Amino acid sequence: MDTIANDYTINIATANGTGSQSANLILLQSLFEMGVPVSGKNLFPSNISGLPTWYIIRVSDHGYQAPGDRTHIQILVNPATWDEDLAALEPGTVVIWNENSKMEMTRDDVVSYPVPMMSLARKINPKIAKLVTNIIYVGVLAEMLGIEQGALEDAVAKQFKGKASAIELNITALGLGREYFKDNFTKEDPYVVEAREIKTPKFFIDGNEAAALGCIFGGVQMLAWYPITPSSSLAEGIINYIPQLRVDDEGNATCAVIQAEDELAAAGMVLGAGWAGGRGMTATSGPGISLMQEFIGLAYFAEIPSVFWDVNRVGPSTGLPTRTQQSDITLLYEGSHGDTQHIVLIPGTVEECFEFGWRAFDYTERFLTPVFGLSDLDLGMNRWACEGFTYPDQAMDRGKVVRDRDIFEAFEEFGRYLDVDGDGVPYRTLPGSGMDPILYRGTGHNPKGAYSEKPEDYLYLMNRLKTKIDGARDLLPAPIIREESECEVGIIYLGSMENTIQEIDDVLEATGLKVSQCRVRALPLHSGIEDFIRRHERTIVLEINRDGQLYGILRKELPNDLVTKVHSVAYSDGMPPRASIYADQILSTLKEANQ
Amino acid sequence: MSDAPARPARTVKLNVINEPKDSYTGGKSSLCPGCGHDQISNVIIAAAWENGIEPHRIAKMSGIGCSSKTPAYYLGQSHGFNTVHGRMPSVTTGAYAVNKDLLYLGVSGDGDSASIGIGQLIHAIRRNMDMVYIVENNGVYGLTKGQYSATADVGSKKKKGKPNTTQPIDLCALAINLGCTFVARSFSGSKKQLTSLLKAAMSHKGFALIDVISPCVTFNNNDESMRSYGYVKENEITLHMADYIPHFNPVEEIEVPEGHFRDIELHDGSTIRLETISDEHDPGNAVAALTALHEAESTQKHVTGLLYFDNSKPALAEDLGIVDTPLIDVPNEELRPTKAILDELNAALLG
Repeated sequence: MDTIANDYTINIATANGTGSQSANLILLQSLFEMGVPVSGKNLFPSNISGLPTWYIIRVSDHGYQAPGDRTHIQILVNPATWDEDLAALEPGTVVIWNENSKMEMTRDDVVSYPVPMMSLARKINPKIAKLVTNIIYVGVLAEMLGIEQGALEDAVAKQFKGKASAIELNITALGLGREYFKDNFTKEDPYVVEAREIKTPKFFIDGNEAAALGCIFGGVQMLAWYPITPSSSLAEGIINYIPQLRVDDEGNATCAVIQAEDELAAAGMVLGAGWAGGRGMTATSGPGISLMQEFIGLAYFAEIPSVFWDVNRVGPSTGLPTRTQQSDITLLYEGSHGDTQHIVLIPGTVEECFEFGWRAFDYTERFLTPVFGLSDLDLGMNRWACEGFTYPDQAMDRGKVVRDRDIFEAFEEFGRYLDVDGDGVPYRTLPGSGMDPILYRGTGHNPKGAYSEKPEDYLYLMNRLKTKIDGARDLLPAPIIREESECEVGIIYLGSMENTIQEIDDVLEATGLKVSQCRVRALPLHSGIEDFIRRHERTIVLEINRDGQLYGILRKELPNDLVTKVHSVAYSDGMPPRASIYADQILSTLKEANQ
Repeated sequence: MSDAPARPARTVKLNVINEPKDSYTGGKSSLCPGCGHDQISNVIIAAAWENGIEPHRIAKMSGIGCSSKTPAYYLGQSHGFNTVHGRMPSVTTGAYAVNKDLLYLGVSGDGDSASIGIGQLIHAIRRNMDMVYIVENNGVYGLTKGQYSATADVGSKKKKGKPNTTQPIDLCALAINLGCTFVARSFSGSKKQLTSLLKAAMSHKGFALIDVISPCVTFNNNDESMRSYGYVKENEITLHMADYIPHFNPVEEIEVPEGHFRDIELHDGSTIRLETISDEHDPGNAVAALTALHEAESTQKHVTGLLYFDNSKPALAEDLGIVDTPLIDVPNEELRPTKAILDELNAALLG
């Protein structure tokens, strides 16, 4: 039989709260240790224990990171989804299933490896047999695929960092799984792992932890947050790193952390910190951003530095809290009532989560306006390979803040809302300084900050705010463009779609269509994006939502002659993006457009 | 400021830091003539001046409503933030987290504090946020033209409409139950008492709530209202006479009153002296404070004075575990770890 090396998808069906996550991470890490390009996605339910969870591992020499179109190897542990999972499999799929689950194998067209996972686990320790069950299937799979023992042991050591008894228990359980496969089965499937040379050493990290580190290196001084999936681990990442990275010799921190009573209060604290001259931030998800709207408008209108990270989950409303989507784009870009427009930074990789983590503070203080980081559950909560983080290439930019009385007195005229430099960005002083004391307000104000309802004051303010945000366009992270010489079709996309775009590109190329790629990394849109559209015959805007939110922004902002060249492909079913779905929709959209 | 040029001798009265009272005033009020809130603004000006606080070291915080407009009318040398409705406590908390050395003076109203912002008020108390929080409490929404607020007393009737039948929220009782460390009630017409209480609140480290009955002359100052000037004057039960003795005052200048009194030492070394009027009220006893409030309510009276005081709880800054320097004064180099540290971190992650 021909073997298939490093090109398959493994689907592990368990229930949450059973310890399967740590077993799955060991499997993922061991493949990674062998130099095999691999990605893992955790499809977990919105509860703590007992509901179905799937972990999907894509093993791909091409470096594809999205779940493939089908499962090649199914691990069946959870009776609750047994029938459904089995029914969905294509003939020839490998099924490693728990013989002790009182469920039956109802398919005769699959490669079946029944394993008494519970009985094997009981041999080690009956008390924790349920937990050990998970590591047994990793052992079975390791033997079936040929995962090196050294790689497995390294992965276990990383997972349990120095906890000798846990390491020993897991190694024993892995051994039992391996032995069971060896003693009871002849390999009847084609799937194998082949080690690859590790050219650049990498580690796994999730986007939330990367963003947290970025914030730490951005000099965050106040974190106010309210727990919400999938952003909590971003806030907790900051909390965990403070004792290591942000304390003085006596252990006192240079960053305050407050767990707020709700998202409104968290936003209020961020504004308070920014008003007082500090770097304040919060991390939340769509429902939290909805609650923060009033403060977002105040931050925009009163020009208060403030950083908000939104780890996007599926909306509307409570939606699918543990699934991924790119549906908060317009919510952030035009957040709050009245005419507003905000700076949004959109990382597509864990390296950018780190980078935008620190840059967000520089932008918010430079432009005196709220700055959003827009991540999503897929990027934020799943682990991605990373070569390491790059140290900020510029010193912290504290913006136009006047803290020195000599400088203050050198101003011919000082007004907190006065455009001195013609860039729409005013100067500010800080509370406690005695310089230019004003009462900040969300009501209309003149260039000096005093209450005003005069039409000329309102117009001056609103037009200056527009000038300010417009001026940020080309100073924000530029789009990443990979252009084909044909310039036939261009694809504009954003954020975590980065993990699927290459596969989409390859699927399209297999049909004879070469496409250019342009990844938007910030709003308002960089001028390079309009140029990209102009150079291409047609442009598709690809996003993980229903309504084509980024497409809507482009339609509104592009010159009329370009609007007809731009088409939307927007799709979201709550699952991480799968290449074939988007590729098919791109092809049909182009076909329709060309008719 | 203390290093300001010499002023004409003795023509203007100066405070302990050589500032005239003018340094503490603000813009012209746009509230209705006779509004209780304007009297409170005057008390704020007097208290800050007499306490010798550098005006620029005060942060004026407010939400939305008639009361929340008043920061424009006092302390013109202080920065302030007129935030959004009911959310002043959170903004103040965030500012305090990065600059704990300012004196945060919050002014709110009964709509701002007892309805839309009650959650934030509660949590600021729970954290023992270090601030003075004045509620200018008149039982009605003034800026939207006279709807009842959540503090309107049962049986009280505003100028227009039916008498209120909904149970009021007593912010002082709420605060005492939450363990608030300084709880007082006063009346905008009782200038002396209010000034002493406010000065003491400014010397307190922790959350100091002063609920001030402040009649709305336009919508709720009629005879049937229980928050009119006339009603409150006739139905106020004063727990004690309050005198404030600042920490910088020489001891020999202080008159010792006849009869019973109780001195309470405040965090900055100042003292509030409570002179007994009738039965002695013990401000350290939460049950006594709640009893006084309930008894007053049952007889449709308003009890004023320092209801409850507790100086044993740490203020929020101590809980935050932050450096002693206000965070906004920590240099950038200490906020961003070095490249060597990131290199080490990358190496550790690579394993």
